[in-house]
Amino acid sequence: MRSPMIPAPARLSQYGVAPQFVTKRAAEYPEMTSLMLSDLFDDTPTLIYPSEKGLLVIRDATRKALERVDMSMIKPHQSVNICASHHGFTMAGGHPYAEMLKTLHDVIAERTGCKNIRLRAGVGLRFRETEEYIKRFELDTYFGPHKAKGVAPIDEGIAIQTEIGTLYGIKAIYDADWIVHAHNSDVREVHFHRQVDRAVKPFGMSYARIETRSTYHQNLGPRGANFTARCIFASDFVQSKFAFASFLDMSPAGVVGVDADNDLFALNDRLTMKGCQYYGKIMTLLGEIDECIAVLDFPCPVPYVFAAGVIYANFVGANTDLFDIENTALPAYTWYTEAFYGKDGPLISGIAPVNPAIRMCVHNYAWGGYPSVFFAEHIPTIVVGAQQADSMSRDSQNVQYMQHALVAENTDAAMRFAYKAAKTDKVIIFDGAVGGVNLSRSLAELLVARAPAISRKVDEVLLPKWLHQRGIDPVAALGLVAG
Amino acid sequence: MKLVAFLATVDPNNCAGCRICSKVCPTLAITMVDKKPVVDSERCVACGNCEQRCESRAITLEKLEQTHVITVTVDDLPREQVDALCILAGFHPSQILCYCSATRAEEVAAAIIKGAHSPEEITLRTGLRSGCSVECIQPALRLLQAYGITPTPPTGGWQWYGLTPTLKEIPEAVKTKYQNHGFCFEEDLKLFESIVSSKRR
Repeated sequence: MRSPMIPAPARLSQYGVAPQFVTKRAAEYPEMTSLMLSDLFDDTPTLIYPSEKGLLVIRDATRKALERVDMSMIKPHQSVNICASHHGFTMAGGHPYAEMLKTLHDVIAERTGCKNIRLRAGVGLRFRETEEYIKRFELDTYFGPHKAKGVAPIDEGIAIQTEIGTLYGIKAIYDADWIVHAHNSDVREVHFHRQVDRAVKPFGMSYARIETRSTYHQNLGPRGANFTARCIFASDFVQSKFAFASFLDMSPAGVVGVDADNDLFALNDRLTMKGCQYYGKIMTLLGEIDECIAVLDFPCPVPYVFAAGVIYANFVGANTDLFDIENTALPAYTWYTEAFYGKDGPLISGIAPVNPAIRMCVHNYAWGGYPSVFFAEHIPTIVVGAQQADSMSRDSQNVQYMQHALVAENTDAAMRFAYKAAKTDKVIIFDGAVGGVNLSRSLAELLVARAPAISRKVDEVLLPKWLHQRGIDPVAALGLVAG
Repeated sequence: MKLVAFLATVDPNNCAGCRICSKVCPTLAITMVDKKPVVDSERCVACGNCEQRCESRAITLEKLEQTHVITVTVDDLPREQVDALCILAGFHPSQILCYCSATRAEEVAAAIIKGAHSPEEITLRTGLRSGCSVECIQPALRLLQAYGITPTPPTGGWQWYGLTPTLKEIPEAVKTKYQNHGFCFEEDLKLFESIVSSKRR
């Protein structure tokens, strides 16, 4: 068994408890070990990052991917918005995504002569989050004075006519002659987007106003919602500004490459297929866990902490097949599912409970800034430290979180209590360890034993079904890969 | 229902007078006086929008000594009237509409019946849109529309712009065009219908 990997360090942010209050990490316990994705699955893709060559490989991969992109529409006197999203900055420490953005800036300038290149970085529900990233990765310096800007869904909007009616985007996203869509392929919120039009999603989310996001989460249904982004992207308005897209190609283990295209839907098909392949196996394997304590231990909101490249919100729904869009209408956790819990339980039968394998959650370190009461309400939760509990209670999105959770004085006390109450020694740590997962030896043994059968099941049964449900022909999608 | 435990507080010395705080406040609690924002403590629901978008970082949320709960009672209205309004808008009365405050459709419907005739008044009375303030504008507008009210967006503000399409309004041609893309329009429509017609509470 390996030693645990070093978790992502605590980080100063207005959305979480200050780092000095994060005094112990779950990976420090002697009963913990780690598994690399490559220990579990032989076909884990080769990574370009992390690597000994550092960020240069990201720069090189971005330049190479952009060689096949047409930028001739951008004229020297025009303006370009490179549109980014917050999630990219949480992957592999955020440096790869920031490097891709910087390289995009440089290549556009070199090839087009354009000097007015701006960064517009959208957010989820933490409106200053990308402002923090812009400072941290010095993107403000790189792009120049007043060129790098965090944008939020409550900022000034712009109406966009689509084939289903009027939707609304953030005005600052579209305030240039051209937009470049700079994103990543981590499946991440697959409980929401279901790996349908994943590559297009920011047009209906981080680039969109509240009206549009509310349309996604309230008006169109758990699967129909994914049409929101497509119809905005396909609108005449957006098409008149769209130049190309560049994606950090992610696997659960790290960065696989950079993909870029003038045709976002072609890129989407490639990334949809790879996402099902790369993430399908580990997510299905995590669904095999019979009992465990989940430890949240990463600087981001509760649902987004991740282990083995899989976010906690997906583990909460790992008792259902999140990629099966026909048979899993409602994952155990999505906002539609949450909405459909009445006062006495689900309003209809057939709503899957949250993953019963999670016997207890130790909230050692995770932020607010996302409505997370559902998790504490459905999973026995211990929050470490009064300061962290107070931080959650101060958050307007989590005012009631601590009404469902208990407070432990420190990590040791929380873990002791969790072991006793959950009556299991299996522990999975959502601490963002890159390339694998920190976990207890007992759980590692279970995953290693089950992985080969799960790998075969995904290859032979699940993956063909998932792709068929999305209308993706793997041969055709692969055929689109240039070079 | 929302427990209000904080109050937006302005440091006028740091304020640049940009007015953004007043444009993003979901309850219109902020007015500009002599080019400086003034917060009406009776209307502030501590969503934090002003604090989050203030470019000068001149606004903070200060803990209230006396917290208060904003909520609308449903039980003093005819149950059928509340239920009918929810169902007309496409919601089950017990359905949660706001994931931050856990405000249910019936409470918003009751607020409208009792005179909350704009999204701003709904927020003020129920706490809907007082957390993230992002995801639940459409339910508010849909319930108002079902009650026969077409509110006007606040002049010069960015609080909200308008109603957007629902699943029922997706044109057949669009459904046909994208039937093999995994959007499952018809299946989700049936899911909505099963929710709205559920007799459970």
